[in-house]
Amino acid sequence: MSPGAWALTALVLVLLGVYVSWTAGRLDRLHARVDAAWAALDAALVRRAAAARALVLHLPPRAPQTLELERAAAAALVGGPVAREAVENDLSVALRAALPLLPAGGSAEVRRELDAAATRVGLARSFHNSAVANARVLRDKRMPRLLRLAGHRVLPQYFDIDDAALSPDLLRECG
Amino acid sequence: MCPYTWDVPGGVQAHVRDLAESLLRLGHEVSVLAPVDDPDLPGLEPYVVSGGRAVPIPYNGSVARLSFGPLSLARTRRWLRAGRFDVLHLHEPTVPSLSMLAMWTARGALVATFHTSTPRSRALQVFGTVLQPGLEKLTGRIAVSAAARRVIMGHLGGDAVLVPNGVEVAHFAGAEPLPGRGDAPTVVFLGRIDEDRKGLAVLLEALPELVRRIPDVQLLVAGPGEAGPVLEQVPPGLRDRVELLGLVPEADKASTYASGTVYCAPNTHGESFGIVLLEAMATGTPVVASDLEAFRTVLDGGRYGVLFPVRDAAALASSLADLIQDPERRAELAALGRGAVQAYDWSAVTRQIVAVYETVVAASPVDLEAAVPLDEGDDDEGADDGSALRRLLTQLRSR
Repeated sequence: MSPGAWALTALVLVLLGVYVSWTAGRLDRLHARVDAAWAALDAALVRRAAAARALVLHLPPRAPQTLELERAAAAALVGGPVAREAVENDLSVALRAALPLLPAGGSAEVRRELDAAATRVGLARSFHNSAVANARVLRDKRMPRLLRLAGHRVLPQYFDIDDAALSPDLLRECG
Repeated sequence: MCPYTWDVPGGVQAHVRDLAESLLRLGHEVSVLAPVDDPDLPGLEPYVVSGGRAVPIPYNGSVARLSFGPLSLARTRRWLRAGRFDVLHLHEPTVPSLSMLAMWTARGALVATFHTSTPRSRALQVFGTVLQPGLEKLTGRIAVSAAARRVIMGHLGGDAVLVPNGVEVAHFAGAEPLPGRGDAPTVVFLGRIDEDRKGLAVLLEALPELVRRIPDVQLLVAGPGEAGPVLEQVPPGLRDRVELLGLVPEADKASTYASGTVYCAPNTHGESFGIVLLEAMATGTPVVASDLEAFRTVLDGGRYGVLFPVRDAAALASSLADLIQDPERRAELAALGRGAVQAYDWSAVTRQIVAVYETVVAASPVDLEAAVPLDEGDDDEGADDGSALRRLLTQLRSR
């Protein structure tokens, strides 16, 4: 090969290398974003469970909805990744069932905290799922897949629960 | 972080200003970087930092004034470095201006608000792939309407949270009509008069029929644009019914709404949010608006105002006339409207935004810092394009 062709090949290889390493960095940042977003979501879920437990004290003690909420909140406080979606979904449902029993007035503090906690679950979940979506799209591209740029990091999973059940509207309506 | 020129009025600019002031009232520290044409402007808010001059560029059916280039990049980086912000809130990061530069430069707790709802934005289609790596750095995305949210999800992938635009309800609630207005029934229009999507043409087309039913009706048109072509659309005999106010200063906007018996929003498309409707409702002026998704949402499907089919001048004329002839219905709509806008008051909206900020900080991997090492020393105010470029190149080489 002529020196010119060598130079051209070298240039192409260097550019390719730069592109691959840049993509690897991009993927790395996306995984970091997913991890951080999950940490925030986890914290928001725990805060909501704690708020739910505080709510139990303000509800009629022997109503079935109260008992169910107490159980669901305890299960959610255990946390952990196993069946987390199902556990948190139960809590959403239990909260929705129990909130109408909350006597008007007197428990404004509890209600505010629950409102804030539930809002943050919705936000954190949206941010987490955005990060997951972005990471999965990039991992799914041909080059990152062929070169295994993701290494042995597990494929990020969406977190889907029914948190619309706790929209601030509902909280306000029963307040 | 505002992409459009600060000294030119516009929806995004107003949004950024109101949000900044609302946050300041809550005791937060705020700095806004925006293109400013005249940094020595006497009325310039103390929290605004100039990102340089802007160039007018036609975008999304309007002329946007944007700021892009090495100088803007240098200023953006300097601002980020000096500010050490907890959260960086970008507005419209897909518009090639300061927000986009900041998105590329900054790291950490980034959140962006998307205002546009144009379903097929040419810029996004062409540059989508180029923009994607930058957009991936955004921890949080805010959409101001369901339509804007769909655009984000469709073009950029991922979700966005809905936080509506805010209105300074108290400012509008106490507004008095403009001085010297008579008792004649008045229809108010507010918006650029030569921009097709604001729909003034539809309203003018409805005018003859409206005059037939309400003989003494007046049309009050407030907004910048060339008057000549507008008046040509009005039959000569009716020209005295149309009063063109030109660009109304921000301070008189509330009074302009309040001067109306009815406020009319005949927009044809491209409205992402019904901020004008909310402002009118806050002054207690009943609203007649075209049946666009954004307007339908704000008016709750017609509960808080009258909707008419888009571009249907005949329907508009009869809706306006019916409402003008029915004072009871007007009073009812005014009361409902004043109640409905409370949910959009800046105090309520800012609370939601602060919750977003808190979550974004919790969900971001690293602290916010410019992508440049901090030990580089401060730039002097007079740094020119050349030195900024040289620095950029040095950094690139050092990686």
